[in-house]
Amino acid sequence: MNELIERAETINQLLARYGVKFGIYKNNTFHEQLFPFDAIPRVITKAEFEVMEKGLVQRVDALNQFLKDIYGKKQIVKDGVIPEEFVFSSSGYLPECEGILPPKGIYSHISGIDLVQAKDKSWYILEDNLRIPSGASYPLIARELCRRASPATFRNNGVIDNRNYAALLKETMEHVNCGGICVIMTPGRYNAAYFEHSYLAERTNSVLATCSDLFVENNCLYYKGYGQKKQKVGALYRRISDEYLDPCTFLPESLIGIPNLMSAYRAGNVSVINAPGNGVADDKGIYYFVPKMIEYYLKEEPILKNAPTYLPFYEKDRSYVLENLEKLVIKDVSEAGGYGVVFGRDLDKEQLERMRGLLITQSRRFIAQEVIDFLDLEIVEGYERVERKADLRAFVLTGEKTRVWASGLTRFSRNPDSFVVNSSQGGGFKDTWVLSH
Amino acid sequence: MKNLRFYYRMRLTFDQPVKEHDFALRFVPYSDSVQRIDIAGKTVEPADWLQEERDAFGNHLYIGRCSRPHDYFMYEVKGTAKVDAGCRVKEPCRECYAYPSKLTAGEPEVKRFLENVCLPDGGAFEKACILMQRLYDVFAYEPGATDIYTTAGEALRGGRGVCQDYAHIFIALCRQCRIPARYVAGLQIGEGATHAWAEIYEDGMWKGFDPTHNRFVDDVYIKLSHGRDYTDCILDRGIFYGQANQEQEIYVNVEEIV
Repeated sequence: MNELIERAETINQLLARYGVKFGIYKNNTFHEQLFPFDAIPRVITKAEFEVMEKGLVQRVDALNQFLKDIYGKKQIVKDGVIPEEFVFSSSGYLPECEGILPPKGIYSHISGIDLVQAKDKSWYILEDNLRIPSGASYPLIARELCRRASPATFRNNGVIDNRNYAALLKETMEHVNCGGICVIMTPGRYNAAYFEHSYLAERTNSVLATCSDLFVENNCLYYKGYGQKKQKVGALYRRISDEYLDPCTFLPESLIGIPNLMSAYRAGNVSVINAPGNGVADDKGIYYFVPKMIEYYLKEEPILKNAPTYLPFYEKDRSYVLENLEKLVIKDVSEAGGYGVVFGRDLDKEQLERMRGLLITQSRRFIAQEVIDFLDLEIVEGYERVERKADLRAFVLTGEKTRVWASGLTRFSRNPDSFVVNSSQGGGFKDTWVLSH
Repeated sequence: MKNLRFYYRMRLTFDQPVKEHDFALRFVPYSDSVQRIDIAGKTVEPADWLQEERDAFGNHLYIGRCSRPHDYFMYEVKGTAKVDAGCRVKEPCRECYAYPSKLTAGEPEVKRFLENVCLPDGGAFEKACILMQRLYDVFAYEPGATDIYTTAGEALRGGRGVCQDYAHIFIALCRQCRIPARYVAGLQIGEGATHAWAEIYEDGMWKGFDPTHNRFVDDVYIKLSHGRDYTDCILDRGIFYGQANQEQEIYVNVEEIV
């Protein structure tokens, strides 16, 4: 492994050459920044992975059942397990999707579940990403380059090969294909994850398309490349968010969507991956209820724990939160990407009071969590090794069965004082090794 | 019960050709317990293809596309309607009608308005009647004061607007008082343009209120579509390529058959 670390610089140069970048909009200008790679991998033992795998499959299966229920019978709400307003006033709930049953009943085909490991080695779920979770391509290409930089490392350590992600993704798309080609749809090269879109299209042998290559005709979706004949699209892995997806259904000003796609989808002529409307299940407010969903739908005990979470919406939780605000982390349920996260200990007296006021008047808007004592991971900085906060995004794919990719994206914070590891906040990443023994 | 004859026509003229025009239209009324619709004729042109379907709110939706260059786009529908507003039936209510939507947003303004209203305990219907009267008293009808993107809160602050604003504010007030309410786009007896009103849900049934005219919806109204707010009921949504200026002509005529 030392050989690998010595060659980290070369790997980073290669990553830059391959265009492994993250695009960010700040103050209305577009910056592309490299996504720094740290060569010390996160290592997960076989035994540890087996437990995690069971827990993730269970969680994603329950979330898929929840989505089917919410856009169908709504039994979990009728049975009083989740308060109605947490579901129907969520910005992720799209009434436009009512009555649509996606092909094979799958809503979340590709789920990105974020976990952290505490000092006592136990894993906690931090959040579920069921819309268009990105990041799988980074450990995929990093592993490829690491294997080239130091083949011996992989001969001497029993690491499960992670190059099957493309095959898993392909199977997932083909499983729900309604007849036609598979397309990965990107908003274009100025998107933060454009590298990933193009890389996954290449690896899965899918067509990479933008909205101008796609149109709906007689309620079917077609792809027409420049100077080519039109081809029917059976599965659309779209990497644009719901509100921009179809200007005839959602935001009319969207210039990156496909007009009337929702009609083709409603008619069952094309699969949309992931299903529109999934935001209702990965809302930070709904997160609180996921363990209850597992019990409700699967009649099983949750295998993986949530971080201890409080909903100011419930009076009992609210009084606890108001009293213990200094030691909690407060999250705005409508924000993502590490935005809208406030640590109570960073607030001064006045700010604490303001936050208390918000928690009372807009209780539905926030969740509060105990700060988990993360197990820090070592990274190389200059010539020394230092410890930093890190999380893990596990990728769970649902086709005929739900499977967990034996790898994942480990993100770390480069700032020693920060707990926020999101790539959009300037963090770096590591490969994630799952051992075969 | 009234027998009505209706005619609706919309024509867009482009000063230079546009192409690759995708559209989604909600302009054809459909039968329910209150209105029985017989369509005598319906045209959408130019169109390469046209597909009829139902949207998530139950409305009739016509989608299609015209890819070749064209300098006009028109759709029209004519027919008769037997309307009996008393002939309601019980039906379930979608949860989304109980919560604010984008264009019915404006909690602070709505709350402020409600501070000055004394509502009786009791049924949703009585409350809605008082809200409608009160809104009619303080809000002025004035075209041009708002646009199609104006929210209930913004309109309420400005104090002036058109039927769309009356409907949005009324819906926002009802929802704030825990009365599910929905937006309706439709036609009203006479000549002119389309109209907008609202329905509230009580005792398992939807009842129509026309806050612009401070009256109940009766047998001279024909519904085209309903939804959370204006966005769900836009008659014509579309996207095309071209830099043309467009001119819109709308003609509506609803008359009683005697």
